[in-house]
Amino acid sequence: MEGGIRAWEGLVAEGPPEAGTVYFPDTAGAKELIGLAWSLEEGSRRFYSELAGVLSDEEGIGIFRDLTAAEEHHKDSLMDLLHNIAGAESAADFPESLADPDEARDVMEGGMRISTALQWAQGKPLGMILEIAMSLETNSYDLYIKMYLKIEDQRSRNVFGLLAGEEKLHLEKLAALLERKI
Amino acid sequence: MGILNYFKPVSVMTAEEVREFLKNKNPGEYNLIDVRQPLEYERGHIPGAQLIPLGELRDHISAIDPSKPTITY
Repeated sequence: MEGGIRAWEGLVAEGPPEAGTVYFPDTAGAKELIGLAWSLEEGSRRFYSELAGVLSDEEGIGIFRDLTAAEEHHKDSLMDLLHNIAGAESAADFPESLADPDEARDVMEGGMRISTALQWAQGKPLGMILEIAMSLETNSYDLYIKMYLKIEDQRSRNVFGLLAGEEKLHLEKLAALLERKI
Repeated sequence: MGILNYFKPVSVMTAEEVREFLKNKNPGEYNLIDVRQPLEYERGHIPGAQLIPLGELRDHISAIDPSKPTITY
């Protein structure tokens, strides 16, 4: 690429190569990976839902409601995958059986703690909130691509590929709104 | 690497062309390699880029699938 990273005017992800992959250890099987991804998606859903509840800008409320619904859809996709891989019985206590509930409930995509992010967002203008959401989604996109390339199980790989594609769409929506608002 | 490889032309894409390329491809269809140092990568990298510092490329050449287009920066 001519000009290197300086010429790149698009979004950049931050963190070392292994960032985020700590949530998806090498020893984890497909079921665990799905559970971990589900937890992150649920975290982001909660974050976006809370934001939609405190903003006053109608367009901002709208996009975060859309993102809340999108994260719910991602969770459904992951549940469907779990059913296909492990059967309905295995999914009965999902995902509580797979992760430390308290830890999992406060983490969202991008690795940030929900409580930290919500506290930060208090009183911030919509533009700044959109920027942080884009940063989180970019890091999430980066992580899902890395997982897609790393995982050998084709079914799990397909899920991470799907999630990466969805994150890309989220970013486009957020970027479009940010451009209108700044 | 044979000496003639030094004369093999390498395509150059603008950042906009790379952006368009990445937009229209799935991550499994290309190699995207960041050849900078780890700290530079940490500060900001194109999503999905694999870090292989320039001095280590030869040692990690097997990580690059030759059947796919490779973009480096």
